[in-house]
Amino acid sequence: MSHRRFEEVVLPHLDAAFNYARWLTKNEADAEDVVQDAYLRALRFFTSLRADNARAWLLTIVRHTWYGRIAPRSGGYQTDGLDETSQEPAAETLDPEALLMQRQTIEDVRAALEQLPAEFREAVVLRELEGLSYKEIAAVTGVPIGTVMSRLSRGRDRLLLILKSAVSQVRAS
Amino acid sequence: MNCDEVGRLLDAYVDNELDLPASAAIAEHVEHCPSCERRLGERESIKRLVQSVPYYTAPVRLRNSVTSRSSRWRVTTRVLASAAVVLLAVSLAGGLATRALRSTPRIGAGGALADAIVSSHVRALMGAHLLDVPSSDQHTVKPWFLGKLDFSPPVVDLVAAGFPLAGGRLEYVDGRPAAAVVYTRRQHTINLFVWPAPNAPAPVDARTIRGFHLRHWIRGGMAFWAISDLNDQELDEFVRLLQ
Repeated sequence: MSHRRFEEVVLPHLDAAFNYARWLTKNEADAEDVVQDAYLRALRFFTSLRADNARAWLLTIVRHTWYGRIAPRSGGYQTDGLDETSQEPAAETLDPEALLMQRQTIEDVRAALEQLPAEFREAVVLRELEGLSYKEIAAVTGVPIGTVMSRLSRGRDRLLLILKSAVSQVRAS
Repeated sequence: MNCDEVGRLLDAYVDNELDLPASAAIAEHVEHCPSCERRLGERESIKRLVQSVPYYTAPVRLRNSVTSRSSRWRVTTRVLASAAVVLLAVSLAGGLATRALRSTPRIGAGGALADAIVSSHVRALMGAHLLDVPSSDQHTVKPWFLGKLDFSPPVVDLVAAGFPLAGGRLEYVDGRPAAAVVYTRRQHTINLFVWPAPNAPAPVDARTIRGFHLRHWIRGGMAFWAISDLNDQELDEFVRLLQ
């Protein structure tokens, strides 16, 4: 596999790799390290890239690189105590545009997204910022499509809850 | 479909992941059910809000470092080729998730042309030469092509549908001049290549190459190729709007 092909196939997805790493690690320095390592691995394993989806393939490597790093540190893969089967507390319904009307700043949304458990956060980021399909998210995160769907659903439920409580705090003060 | 069923599928619905019958059933239900309509509105709001958060682009330092590392690799590629085989075996045994990659790309007729389209798209994104005429105004972009090409590519205003026009440039694809009309969706760039085609009209053909989604069709004496790293559903929406 020629080197030129690697540059043409994998380098164009550098921003996607960094954005995903930045949301996984929640800080810039770790994200840079993870992407550096991921690219080294990608170079090594480039011959295993058989088919068409270089971006999903690279994002998978980014994810493995990150979890490979934190696993020894934290004594295992952290799931934030996720129970995949439990229900989210129902958010009281809200006027669809109310969130926007409350001048929810981008910073509030960013902070809310960072508070989400990692599995929910990455599903939402891969969907809304990278535009990946459920099938692609399933491949990157190594879970069935049904799990992707429930993580997205519960991730959004939690985001709504967090943002609504931010709104009511503003109202109360 | 009842409210519980709708609730379970609502995320897949707003993400355009449902098939047509399910999607139609939900649309129908929501129209007559104020509480589900509310939940749908919430879903759409939260999607919009999340899409407004910053997209972190790779710092220049990182870009340089990754590029120079991959250049150094070039020298030692041959030496390490055999090692790579071993590592590949290790990676497969270790279960490096490459599940998505098992599906083989559908490269039928026009495979070489599709590759050329991908290369043009990547060159345009990586180099500085994405736009010859940067403008969001169709009445600027369309006349600009007139002096440069012997055909007039359609340039449409899709800003209301969420695909603002970024501009256009001249391309050379498959040995002929082509118009590249550039649209955007959030952080994603869509290149639409257009040139005259004597062939009969052809319906939309979809394929994915190296992580980029492509759509090809022939209509009104023009060949169209749309390419982007945008997801399939939104790219299909874009193609529908053009037709």
